[in-house]
Amino acid sequence: MKMCGRQTGALVRVALLDLYRRKDLIVVWLLSLVLLLPLAFFSPFGISGAGRYLNEIALLLVWLFSAVIGVGVAARLFPAEFESRTIFPLLAKPVTRGRIVLGKYLGALAASVSALTVFYLAYGVLCGLRQSVWFPVVLFQAFLLHIGFLIVVTALAMLGSLMMTPSANLTLCGLLIVGMLVFGQRLPSLIAAQPYPGKAFLMLVHALGPHVEFFDLRQRVIHGWSRVGWDVCAVVLLYAIGYAAACLGLAGWLFCRKKV
Amino acid sequence: MRSGDTMDLLTLEGVTKTFGDVRAVDGLTLSIRQGEILGFLGTNGAGKTTTIKMLLGFFRPDSGKIAIWGGDPRTGAVRRRIGYMPETACYYPFLTIRELLDFYGGLCGMTRADIRSRAEQLIGRVGLAGVEKRLLRHYSKGMLQRAGIAQALLHDPDLLILDEPFTGLDPLARIQLRDLIRELRAQGKTIFFSSHELSEAELICDRVAMIRRGQTVWCGALHEVAGDGQQNLERIFLKMLGGEETA
Repeated sequence: MKMCGRQTGALVRVALLDLYRRKDLIVVWLLSLVLLLPLAFFSPFGISGAGRYLNEIALLLVWLFSAVIGVGVAARLFPAEFESRTIFPLLAKPVTRGRIVLGKYLGALAASVSALTVFYLAYGVLCGLRQSVWFPVVLFQAFLLHIGFLIVVTALAMLGSLMMTPSANLTLCGLLIVGMLVFGQRLPSLIAAQPYPGKAFLMLVHALGPHVEFFDLRQRVIHGWSRVGWDVCAVVLLYAIGYAAACLGLAGWLFCRKKV
Repeated sequence: MRSGDTMDLLTLEGVTKTFGDVRAVDGLTLSIRQGEILGFLGTNGAGKTTTIKMLLGFFRPDSGKIAIWGGDPRTGAVRRRIGYMPETACYYPFLTIRELLDFYGGLCGMTRADIRSRAEQLIGRVGLAGVEKRLLRHYSKGMLQRAGIAQALLHDPDLLILDEPFTGLDPLARIQLRDLIRELRAQGKTIFFSSHELSEAELICDRVAMIRRGQTVWCGALHEVAGDGQQNLERIFLKMLGGEETA
């Protein structure tokens, strides 16, 4: 157990150092702050209630940047190992391939969550300055479910990185995330309205696709609606963990069979 | 000697590996004894690196048997006792040497205190003291080779597998590495290294194995052939492998 912890810890640390030393994250943070900062003080045309639009833009940016970081980091880890040939000394160590997948995934997730925390802190402070409402419970729930979103998309991107080229992986993940965010809630009604074989295809997408729309609490935060039940949050997070576990299981299986 | 040790520490029996139409290793049979330095020599593309990758369990042979301490090289118990230095120095460029050793030590299950003391000792031993705070991306090729040696020795392995260890090293570093390899043998370690640098092999090997097209063409102790003082390793190499290559 101690051995497992040390090995996983080592892999997580290196994934974090990789992200922070590349300085990509610092650029994204600075960019997000530059974009978010005016939202704290900007009052569009003096219209009351227009602040909601600003909140919407701010949260959209937070989602966009977090998705870019989560998918970008996870999609790069294995291809970078193969490209730079660092995979050879890594595989020569007494660590199983399954543990390498798990360690790298946890590293990518830790890096993405650390970036997300900064985004939400910035958003919370800027909204607090403008609206004098400091970190409501619903914002904390949005943050928690956003972590669930990252749990799913980093696992999906890591699985994709073992099956296709990085550019194909990024494109497919991007399409899936945007597609599910936009159409995810409407999929059941679309399935009902479609004839076969389109119906079968949509049913497959509904069954296997990552339901990232479950994690989206932006509307509640923007309009100041009440929080969701904690049991709902728990179920959605369990879905995220289950989906990620399935992706990682498949990724581990693929990595064990991958030729080096 | 730990349990499971035998006279022949590592054995390959009729090992074959094919990639598509190319037979990289073809019925290779070889053994290494405990505490010896074996030079694994051959021209480029002879099958040296493929053999090493099979020894490390990166992939299985199509046929034949590989045993290290009588066990499968893919098991954790066996790999814990092996140190490997790859042919090209491929380490994370965003880490310092200490962080690199910290990482590999963690993968070997070492405690932080053990890693720290061992890293301290190895950084000095391979001549990287004073550049510990520099990221590996700023290291020269020779310095990266030294970092490779340090990571291979970190967990105090009993068997060292070195793939072209002298490549990229300056004369001083070569001498230091040669001394280090001899010192490790004196400590009872077994060293298997592939090379096409015959002069280095001649200076430090107890035995050499020469392969061509994935087959062992000659294997023996250097003193057996160098007895008359006339025949050096280069001559044997040319005799065994040169005819076909130069034809």
